[in-house]
Amino acid sequence: MKIAVCVKQVPDSESRINLSGPVPELDTSSFTMIINPYDQYAVEEAVKIKEKLGDGEITVVTVGAEARVREMIKKDCLAVGCDKAVVVDDAALAGADSFAVAQVLAAALKREQFDLVLFGIKAIDDDASQVGIMTAELLGMPHVGYIGDLELKDGALTAKREIEGGVEVVDSPTPCVLTCGKGLNEPRLPSLPNIMKAGMKPVEVLDCAGLGVEVPASLTEVKQFAPPPPRGECTMIDAEDPAAAARELARALHEDAKII
Amino acid sequence: MPNIAVFIEQRAGQIKKVAWQMLSEARKLTDAHGGEVWGVHLHAASCNVNEDAGKHGAHKVFTAEAAEFDRYDSELWTQAMAAFINEHKPDVVLVGSTAMGKDLAPRLAARLKAACVSDAVGLSWDGGLVVRRPVFAGKCYADVATRGDVAVVGIRPNAFALAETGGAAEAATFSPGLDAGAAKAKVSAVETAAAGQISLTEAEVVVSGGRGIKGPENYAMIEKLAEAFGAASGASRAIVDAGWVDYSHQVGQTGKTVAPNLYVACGISGAIQHLAGMSSSKCIVAINKDAAAPIFKVADYGIAGDVFEVLPALTEAVQEIKKG
Ligand SMILES: Cc1cc2nc3c(=O)[nH]c(=O)nc-3n(C[C@H](O)[C@H](O)[C@H](O)COP(=O)(O)OP(=O)(O)OC[C@H]3O[C@@H](n4cnc5c(N)ncnc54)[C@H](O)[C@@H]3O)c2cc1C
Repeated sequence: MKIAVCVKQVPDSESRINLSGPVPELDTSSFTMIINPYDQYAVEEAVKIKEKLGDGEITVVTVGAEARVREMIKKDCLAVGCDKAVVVDDAALAGADSFAVAQVLAAALKREQFDLVLFGIKAIDDDASQVGIMTAELLGMPHVGYIGDLELKDGALTAKREIEGGVEVVDSPTPCVLTCGKGLNEPRLPSLPNIMKAGMKPVEVLDCAGLGVEVPASLTEVKQFAPPPPRGECTMIDAEDPAAAARELARALHEDAKII
Repeated sequence: MPNIAVFIEQRAGQIKKVAWQMLSEARKLTDAHGGEVWGVHLHAASCNVNEDAGKHGAHKVFTAEAAEFDRYDSELWTQAMAAFINEHKPDVVLVGSTAMGKDLAPRLAARLKAACVSDAVGLSWDGGLVVRRPVFAGKCYADVATRGDVAVVGIRPNAFALAETGGAAEAATFSPGLDAGAAKAKVSAVETAAAGQISLTEAEVVVSGGRGIKGPENYAMIEKLAEAFGAASGASRAIVDAGWVDYSHQVGQTGKTVAPNLYVACGISGAIQHLAGMSSSKCIVAINKDAAAPIFKVADYGIAGDVFEVLPALTEAVQEIKKG
């Protein structure tokens, strides 16, 4: 079984963004970069599948500056069980939107015949939830989005995905694209010896020309970043005892805020 | 002068409320800038969305009927929506950011080679579409412009208010041009949740518990308050990871995004990753014994108190009010 896992480097959600007004670009200099937490579920699932089958190869694919993603590829992917990596490093892709990135990933993935292509359900920076499913479309593969459970059969799979008020059970032949979320597994941590050994695994670095594609144009463009709408002051409810505070809160929600 | 198509989603015989919210907002845009609002609806058996769609702002409602529309299928829905868009050429297509919409929108946009923006909370028209959406865990908003003939835009449920300012909508049908053979991934079954459970992402009120409830046995206290409100019950990641409640209840960056009218956070500190999932709620109530907890920074009402003392009394007070 040949599995590809697509990962993205994102700023840690603790990174501070303090905007007092709209700006055309964010100052990202203080951001700490990490592997997208959802992509870790995809990596873990790939490794689990390979372990279970006792056979297979896992290729991790990312788009980003090689110097910046190197540690992530080594520590979070190769050291936990991925076999090799492909890094698409092309300065012209800076600021590329989901569809442009999906086109680049599809070009990279087309170079081999993968049975499964795994993604995280979304990246925690732009929260778009698009790239995995767009890539499936560009590869002409079916997809099952936001899986919480996966069972592989010969040339096919059954995945479960949560929907409002229930769970959908989806059957698909392989090759197939899956987007992975929390609940699917518990990502393992890399051990020190494995991090050392990961340095020996092959990492291929290439740009769009190397993939034989033109740099795709983005169809969306961020015009500005703005602070979130201000929330009003918090009305702290003071009362002689907690029960009275609770009654006053219920009254305020009913009469002032008119919510209940 | 945009013509705006709104995908009217149906699941298990129910139209999603976000469809009416999108029609209401779209109508505001076309009233100001020209153009029309079109509802688009796929259905298996007889359907009657016209009246409601018109009331909420649709000028026209296009429907397509096929036995296959009985149960959601990514490929077939993509085919049908692409067929509609290619035939009628709307400038903007709005799709609710629901389980179905998040699955459909990227596939549809990629097939059309169209711009795609997800989870929008604001729309404006400035010579072209500008979409406002939260990014970086809601720490800031991005205003996104789109290029191309059509843009597919996902809309966060509850982001837009309902309006009933429309009238009668003209009814039309379209051919979905289905090629069932191309659908490889198939939904083979739908397991429905226990009856009476309110879906977290659709609930008008959400009551969530965090580590302040001290142990799994006390989550019942959260559920009781939720029941009094007619609310769904949520949780912080801390108590999901501790195994006190199922992951399906988790609100936040690695859980669900909710935007209810009322969010009640009980014993939750208000970490940025939790705020990411709930800070666009209309009204936020925080109950936390630490008056300096960050959750109070986003709250509208707060009680600095012990959940074990406040919640039972609050449950009773809400029951009283609900009784009328
Ligand atoms: C990558 C990543 C993703 C994450 N995703 C999520 C996510 O999706 N959702 C999420 O929630 N978190 C998420 N987190 C975790 C987040 O950072 C916090 O650790 C978590 O939200 C804390 O949960 P809590 O508020 O329940 O617990 P705590 O932070 O421990 O807070 C407990 C609060 O309860 C109060 N309290 C204690 N006892 C009482 C009492 N008797 N009465 C009243 N108040 C009391 C305390 O004052 C405190 O404020 C994520 C973290 C990371 C790194």
